[in-house]
Amino acid sequence: MVTVLQARTRGMTLMRMPLTVWGIFTATVMALLAFPALFVGAVMMLLDRLLGTSFFMPSLVEMGQHLQHSGGSPILFQHLFWFFGHPEVYIVALPAFGIVSDLISTHARRNIFGYRMMVWAIVAIGALSFVVWAHHMYVSGMNPYFGFFFATTTLIIAIPTAIKVYNWLLTLWHGDIHLTVPMLFALAFIVTFLNGGLTGLFLGNVVVDVPLSDTMFVVAHFHMVMGVAPIMVIFGGIYHWYPKITGRMLNEALGRFHFWVTFLGAYAVFFPMHYLGLLGMPRRYPEIGETSFVPDSAATLNAFISVAALAVGFAQMVFLFNLIWSLSRGRQAGGNPWNATTLEWQTPETPPGHGNWGKELPVVYRWAYDYSVPGAERDFVPQNQPPARRATWEAAP
Amino acid sequence: MAHAAASAEGQQHPVKLYLVVWGWLFVLSAFSYSVDYFHLQGYLRWFLILLLMALKAGLIVAFFMHMAWERLALIYAILIPPVAVLVFVGIMVFESDYTLFMRETFFRLGQG
Amino acid sequence: MDATPTDTGEALARPAGWRGVAADWSSDQRAFKNVSWGKAMMWIFLLSDTFIFSCFLISYMTVRMSTTVPWPNPSEVFALTIGGTSVPLILIAIMTFVLISSSGTMAMAVNFGYRRDRVKTAALMLMTAAFGATFVGMQAFEWTKLIHEGVRPWENPWGAAQFGAAFFMITGFHGTHVTIGVIFLLVIARKVWRGDFDQEKQGFFTSRKGRYEIVEITGLYWHFVDLVWVFIFALFYLW
Ligand code: HEM
Ligand SMILES: [Cu+2]
Repeated sequence: MVTVLQARTRGMTLMRMPLTVWGIFTATVMALLAFPALFVGAVMMLLDRLLGTSFFMPSLVEMGQHLQHSGGSPILFQHLFWFFGHPEVYIVALPAFGIVSDLISTHARRNIFGYRMMVWAIVAIGALSFVVWAHHMYVSGMNPYFGFFFATTTLIIAIPTAIKVYNWLLTLWHGDIHLTVPMLFALAFIVTFLNGGLTGLFLGNVVVDVPLSDTMFVVAHFHMVMGVAPIMVIFGGIYHWYPKITGRMLNEALGRFHFWVTFLGAYAVFFPMHYLGLLGMPRRYPEIGETSFVPDSAATLNAFISVAALAVGFAQMVFLFNLIWSLSRGRQAGGNPWNATTLEWQTPETPPGHGNWGKELPVVYRWAYDYSVPGAERDFVPQNQPPARRATWEAAP
Repeated sequence: MAHAAASAEGQQHPVKLYLVVWGWLFVLSAFSYSVDYFHLQGYLRWFLILLLMALKAGLIVAFFMHMAWERLALIYAILIPPVAVLVFVGIMVFESDYTLFMRETFFRLGQG
Repeated sequence: MDATPTDTGEALARPAGWRGVAADWSSDQRAFKNVSWGKAMMWIFLLSDTFIFSCFLISYMTVRMSTTVPWPNPSEVFALTIGGTSVPLILIAIMTFVLISSSGTMAMAVNFGYRRDRVKTAALMLMTAAFGATFVGMQAFEWTKLIHEGVRPWENPWGAAQFGAAFFMITGFHGTHVTIGVIFLLVIARKVWRGDFDQEKQGFFTSRKGRYEIVEITGLYWHFVDLVWVFIFALFYLW
């Protein structure tokens, strides 16, 4: 984080940074401010457990015995936890937002739409996510007036989030889309995140959340948005950067197989959960037993989910195999197989040597998204290419 | 206030200024203590405690930690995030009031 | 986007006010002009630590405000009997003054450090450390006294069980910070004394040259510890 603030290379202003770096940077700031609450909650819980204090423990009867605790506030723990917990979900999401922006721009040969808006959206999401935490506590027995406040702030976050989704779509619009494996994963992310974001909007409203809370619907929501979507980006990122790290491409056919099984399989796993949740099936129960509201067919659906999950798990074996196999057998990648603009693709060696750049640090002259610039010789202009020396790019450092 | 600008060499300010700030910190602490010593109660007590606390904190941050001479970019970067803490404090005040209200309502019933 | 190299802005006079904020943040290489890497690190660490102490104090406030059992009166709990009369909160008051004194000596040390006055700087830092150690010693005395009177993290003779829990936890955390600060001060004072920063000697863990700025960075930490005490004093002892 201090690296981003105080140790950028020459020419790399904050507003020229790739969105990947912006996402990671903001997430780091948030981690710095959110983890204290988790830490404090954990310390107090330890004290309750080990020393017999009563921060969170009210009077308790356990197995017929009155415990020593009295007067603690369980709801305080929930507040501390979610003051950390909600920022944490965006700590996971923001780097994914950033990476996916770069993947889309690179593989659609198109500058990112609304770069400044994207940056400010990241910052706004980061800031707002510190004042929405109690949307996880609508049914906790907290002060009933909070519902209104936290529902409002929660829905406000949807605005910068939606801006980002629109901008991704507008980046693709009229783009020269290469359906490479990283791009497939990036597209899958957009769809999945949209899905999870919309169910988030449902849950953000108190009246909708009350019946849905603690059902499989919530499980579907957060797996879509925090499980599947960022994992799509992580895979996309690995397929994208593997050539820079190893000097070789990952196998394309195996990659496509991995993608389709993982993507469709994840939907087969998590999509039905929305339906189960609407039926009222509670989360966290290994076995439901007989109820008046969950039909027997739900068990069939659960079995289906298990099978789909096994298939997805199998696809990951293929991926691991691909990682290892391509290390020695993959196609030689060269320094910049995707024709990308950002600095990591311009290093003198691939894989980069110690210190990445050798003796001299690069100088940055432009933002990270000069794709398909009219009049330029190639459809991308690296960030460290100076403006005047258009013709010398072959000799670029 | 910004009479001695921070140079690249670091922060250099007259010794006298530090002594004055130091003196004020002692005086303010003495006031804080007397709030308790003279058993002031109610809103007056709260007002004085919080006021003196804020003044002392301000002096320490501004002069001893040299915040007054830093550039605004750093000042805002450090002072704005704690706003989130203030929101948290505010929320927890209302939450505690509510918890107390519920406990008094229901525990009384149980015991009564 | 314009494709020109930006000015690094180090040498130029920089604008003030909001324009300055915008200019600094959009400038090249560093967002905090005139602030070294180490100092920025310390500020950012302190910001995070602020959140930690805030969460402790918020939790304390919550348990205190929502308990139905009376809260022990700190004014009486921390009173000492001196010459036959009971003086309320006197120990805490003395501790407060000790810590403020240490902050003053620390500020002076920073000042003399930048004047490259090796001996005075080291002496003032040692004084600061001594005040710090005194503070911790008094805190140990306070803990002992309370434990003798029957205060435990899980109960106490006067009221809500959370009193002891919050007391030991918060002062314990603060005391740990002071202790770490004392060690930090001693280490740096030794280096100042040896003249490491006059010869720009290389540090143990790093390839960079030692500079007097480290005194200011130590100072930031120390003043922060004092700052936290200001809040603890007001919110725990005076409430
Ligand atoms: C428009 C954006 C979003 C809204 C309005 C939203 C709203 C909500 C709400 C109201 C809940 C509580 C449901 C309940 O327990 O009854 C919830 C749960 C959750 N959300 Fe979101 N969310 C959004 C985006 C995200 C994102 C981006 C992530 C992660 C990357 C995420 C991760 C989670 C997780 C992990 C839970 C489950 C917490 C638990 O275990 O109870 N959400 N969301
Ligand atoms: Cu949330």
